[in-house]
Amino acid sequence: MPAEPPAPQPAQPDHLASNPYFALSRSFNAGRVRAIISSGQAVVWHRMSEASKDGDWIVREDADDLAHIRAVLAERGAVYRFGAPLDVRWLAGGWSAHLEFQDGPLRLRTDFVSRPPRLSPARLAALWRKTEHDDPPVIGILDLIALKLTQRERDYPIVGTLAKRLSDPAAILRHSRSATMLLRTAAGHGDLLAPLASERPLLATIPCAQETLEAALDHERRELMRRDQRRIAAYVAAMAGLARARGALEAAWAGKPLADQHRILVECCAQQLPVVVHVD
Amino acid sequence: MSTERPAGEDDEFTSAEANDLANCSDAEFSAWWRLWFEQAQATNHLDRHRYSHGVLTVEPGYEDLDDDG
Repeated sequence: MPAEPPAPQPAQPDHLASNPYFALSRSFNAGRVRAIISSGQAVVWHRMSEASKDGDWIVREDADDLAHIRAVLAERGAVYRFGAPLDVRWLAGGWSAHLEFQDGPLRLRTDFVSRPPRLSPARLAALWRKTEHDDPPVIGILDLIALKLTQRERDYPIVGTLAKRLSDPAAILRHSRSATMLLRTAAGHGDLLAPLASERPLLATIPCAQETLEAALDHERRELMRRDQRRIAAYVAAMAGLARARGALEAAWAGKPLADQHRILVECCAQQLPVVVHVD
Repeated sequence: MSTERPAGEDDEFTSAEANDLANCSDAEFSAWWRLWFEQAQATNHLDRHRYSHGVLTVEPGYEDLDDDG
């Protein structure tokens, strides 16, 4: 497991309370860590950007833990958005669950996965071990970088900024999106290039002109985006049955509390949403 | 708040705000994020059918909104 940069300093209680997603995390994790802050709010936590409207968590594949999270959301009047249920069966298949509620003038959106893309089972297990006593539990920089290698072009500058926090030369060579930084690091640690090139082929182009490496970074980004597009496309295709049932589903759960919505969604997904999705 | 990009730092997330976020106190950062979040509610109607994470990008029937990538 590569070395993580230092964890951020513990935040003060008022810092947690003023961000409703951090406050919500405390409720999710009362008595036991059940949900790790991920993606956009983790970027906020790491002080990279304030611009994230939604909350995202990695949750344990435990029926009781998910029931606790649903109960917390139900207390706040949350309702499901279209998607998989917050249920072990589908989450374990890589699906995501999406809910939202109003907190006065604020719309809070809560998104959940248990198998985040691009994190191996070993990395995920290490993440749970590492955060089991944290308040709030937040995904670290290296895992966050992996999550942000999405189909969205706008995530790559964030990856670049996250990688700026890295100090370990091998980690920089693995993750930096800066040709300048890669060339500078390679100049001092040329012995790392050959072993790491099997993980990151563009390192094999070094030494080279900066423009050459910039072109290789662009190519790498497009490949990463295409890979994530294929993953999303596989899930969207597998969702066709549920999409066709959407009108009836939403009519059935309209105005109902979350517990009833959950039961209705699970019953529908048992018929319409495959648990396992094959991604090329 | 500096809006200049540090020399030699390419491929960075370079919003004007991002340049100083790491140096804010907790209270400053929290207040800043909260203000941004409250103002961002004004665009809720624009992302009503969108998803930010997970295996969906838009609700079925709103694929024309899917401009990611």
